[in-house]
Amino acid sequence: MEQISPLAAARGSSKPTASGTSSEAAGSVTKRLSQELMNLMMTSPPGISAFPKSDANLFEWAGTIEGAAGTIYSGLTFKISITFPPNYPYVAPTIKFDTPCYHPNVDIAGGAICLDILQDKWTAVYSAQTVLLSLQSLLGEPNNASPLNPDAANLWDKPDEYKTQLMKHYRPISDDA
Amino acid sequence: MATPALCNQVAEKWQRSFAKLNREKEGITGLLEFTQGWLMASDQLRPRDKAGLATKPQYDKAKLRECFEIIRACNLHAVFLDDYLDAIGRQLPAITNDIDFYMKMYEREPTAEHIANLISIAARWQRAWAPLPEMGASALSAFTCTFQTHLYSILPPSFTTGFRDLISATFDFTSFEAAPQWLLTRFPCPHGIPRPDFTLWTIMQELGLIERYETLILSVCYERIEGHVLEASEKVWDRQMLQEMRDWMSREVVPWLTMPYARDARSAEHATMLMKNVGSRLDYHVCKTLADLRTREIFDIIIDYPDSRPALDDMKECLQRVDQRSQLVQSLRKANRRRLLHPGADTKLILTQYVSIIRCLRIVDPQGVLLFKVADPIRRYLRDRPDTIRCIVASLVGDGESGDSLVDENEPIQPINQTQLEDYTDPNWEPEPMDAGPEFRANKPSDIISTLISIYDSQELFVKELQILLAQRLLAITDGNFDRERRNIEILKIRFGEAALQVCEVMLRDMTDSRRTDQHIQQQKASDLHPTIISRHFWPPLQANTFVMPGQFRKIQEDYASEFHVFKPDKKLLWMSHLGSINLQVELDDRTVEVEVPPLEAAFIELFSEQDEWSVPELVEKVGSIERPQAIKALVTWVELGVLKEDSPDHYRLLKTAEESGSAAKSSGKQPTAVVEELPPVVTVQQQQAEQMRVFWKFIEGMLTNLGQLPLDRIQQMLKFAPNYDRNIDQLAAFMEAARREGLVTVTNGVWKLQRD
Repeated sequence: MEQISPLAAARGSSKPTASGTSSEAAGSVTKRLSQELMNLMMTSPPGISAFPKSDANLFEWAGTIEGAAGTIYSGLTFKISITFPPNYPYVAPTIKFDTPCYHPNVDIAGGAICLDILQDKWTAVYSAQTVLLSLQSLLGEPNNASPLNPDAANLWDKPDEYKTQLMKHYRPISDDA
Repeated sequence: MATPALCNQVAEKWQRSFAKLNREKEGITGLLEFTQGWLMASDQLRPRDKAGLATKPQYDKAKLRECFEIIRACNLHAVFLDDYLDAIGRQLPAITNDIDFYMKMYEREPTAEHIANLISIAARWQRAWAPLPEMGASALSAFTCTFQTHLYSILPPSFTTGFRDLISATFDFTSFEAAPQWLLTRFPCPHGIPRPDFTLWTIMQELGLIERYETLILSVCYERIEGHVLEASEKVWDRQMLQEMRDWMSREVVPWLTMPYARDARSAEHATMLMKNVGSRLDYHVCKTLADLRTREIFDIIIDYPDSRPALDDMKECLQRVDQRSQLVQSLRKANRRRLLHPGADTKLILTQYVSIIRCLRIVDPQGVLLFKVADPIRRYLRDRPDTIRCIVASLVGDGESGDSLVDENEPIQPINQTQLEDYTDPNWEPEPMDAGPEFRANKPSDIISTLISIYDSQELFVKELQILLAQRLLAITDGNFDRERRNIEILKIRFGEAALQVCEVMLRDMTDSRRTDQHIQQQKASDLHPTIISRHFWPPLQANTFVMPGQFRKIQEDYASEFHVFKPDKKLLWMSHLGSINLQVELDDRTVEVEVPPLEAAFIELFSEQDEWSVPELVEKVGSIERPQAIKALVTWVELGVLKEDSPDHYRLLKTAEESGSAAKSSGKQPTAVVEELPPVVTVQQQQAEQMRVFWKFIEGMLTNLGQLPLDRIQQMLKFAPNYDRNIDQLAAFMEAARREGLVTVTNGVWKLQRD
């Protein structure tokens, strides 16, 4: 009992401050996210799109990326999840592939992505739209120097084998999603 | 062999019969008497053929009565009657021949005369063969029955037509002078009878024809009524016809009616009583015919309102007598659908007619059930018309030039009444009429404008449209006289309430403020520019193709803006260069042209002062943000003024010296029409809404792309991310349905998804 109580107290004391700052910040973040959503909807760049998963939470988006024409991913559509942190846009959103994506910079199992602008190169001027565009171009131009999926990196130079592997893992989007 | 018992029986029977006939007289004298009586009576009654038709043999009444008494005493009169009727039956073919003869005559030459002759001859046969009164009433009725059954059985079908002709002809036998000769000779009337067809009717009664053909006689009468009502009342709406028709009835039809129904009336009262039944049927028919006619004509009657007011009063009275309300509703709805609610009809026209319908049906049915039923499709149709609101609003502010406003000037201006609850404490309260539907709202006689505005669920649209209209009108005013607009706004405030019209109030104040501000700035530094300064937030969006004014105009604008900045440091002027007009003096080598032109024209001529020749793309590039057609239009204005000339396609040159041939010819006719007045371009409500829906569609597309398929209510919820989303789920449903028709989305079990290509 004695051991637990300070921990509980600490948790109790930290919570109000955290929520206090986040609710204050949440207003501006929400505003920013709405603005980004509006921009994304109105520009609707070809092949990329995203929308909040539910009307209750603006921080969780579902996205869609189509492989650019002329790349090996052409004609394939990938679902992704975007999670915006409470202190967005000072911290990059977390993005992962929901559709299995065979790609040198994508973890085939978990869907995690290795992209510099999502990690150390992130700045607040980026937006959901720029991130989605970067991901779309990453599909066609992988960074084979720091692969998450070494097999894919090795196969990149052999398009036929690569395509076979890609299609083996790829699952088309069904409407039940 | 006959047994003794049988012999006894026969003998006894014979004895009894003999006793009956002999009536206990001496010997067989009784029997002889009976035989003699029977023979004499039979001979007297024997139906004679044609030869014997004229006269019956004379007979001794007392003697004959004696004969009948003997027969009756012997209890054999029934047998005697049967015998007599059998004899009649044997002679009947003689009648058949006569009937055939006259029917053939009629078929050859269909005149009523032959039918009258036929009736006459049939009546003579009937009289000739009728049993003597001494035989008693039962004999007479048995005879009549036999005779008439036979008569009717041999009348051919064409007789009905002929009989109808005859009845129809009797309508014209109003006096002895008017009666044809055959009527007077065949059916001579006793002295002192008012109508020459009296005997004819009596004979028809004798033959049972009136009873048998009563429906036919009445239908002839109905036809008469219909014919007359149609002839007299069709398209006559400027006086009340119902009373006229009733007068006609009592003048023309009732005297005739006395013939079949009240021939034997002892007095006028008796006649009235006898005809009461049939008279009310005929009166009903008059009402019904008139109601039918007016129902057919109702659409045109409404067009003619208020000249057709008497016809509507008639209609009201008829409807109280005849249950034609649903027919009236149907007829009017059908006429509206066919003649009014189609794309060819102008919205203003539909509104005018709708207002007339309101006024007319209120006369016919003050409680408004008919109106409610008829108005419903019109209102629904108007709701779908894009320019309905604008038309209503235009009539609200009383468009001066349109002349006949929908609103009656004399009607008091009332606040737009919201739906009221029934006031059951009202001593004049009446229940809803029988045919009121469940949706019927007893709308108290409210003014026309309220009714029109209630076409839409909310007043918001009206107020928006009102702003746009007001913006156009205010910007079109050049003389600074806003009294008219101010008056309109005040009137509208009464209707819509202060709050709704606040924006309009601001707009109006902007106008007056602009003038004051301008006066002030002119005092500081005189300028040729007199801008109207409007508050962006309170004005409807103006079409934004603001181009940059070149040269001196730009300079004037900038000077003015800097003065304005001094006057109101917290405000900044954004120029709407495309609005307004400019008074120009163009000095050329040999002439000076003075015109008032729109700004774009001025901008172009300014550019031509820098350089003599321009191509259209160069000009467009120079001022920026204008469309090619606008540029061409502006250039053509100058060409028509003889200032510019199109040397080659798209290339224009300044005419420093006038070109004799071309400009002389053109300037003669066209010079004064240089400036085309146009309403200031304000973005309409529809355009605004279309733009909004485009945004919402992007969001729907986005959510369906990323979230797969969604039910309608989820789409509605998710659309809260879209800015200013204010549609309800029904509007969304309609929108999605439209998208489905476009092939953009599909729906299965209420779940929507994008149509993938």
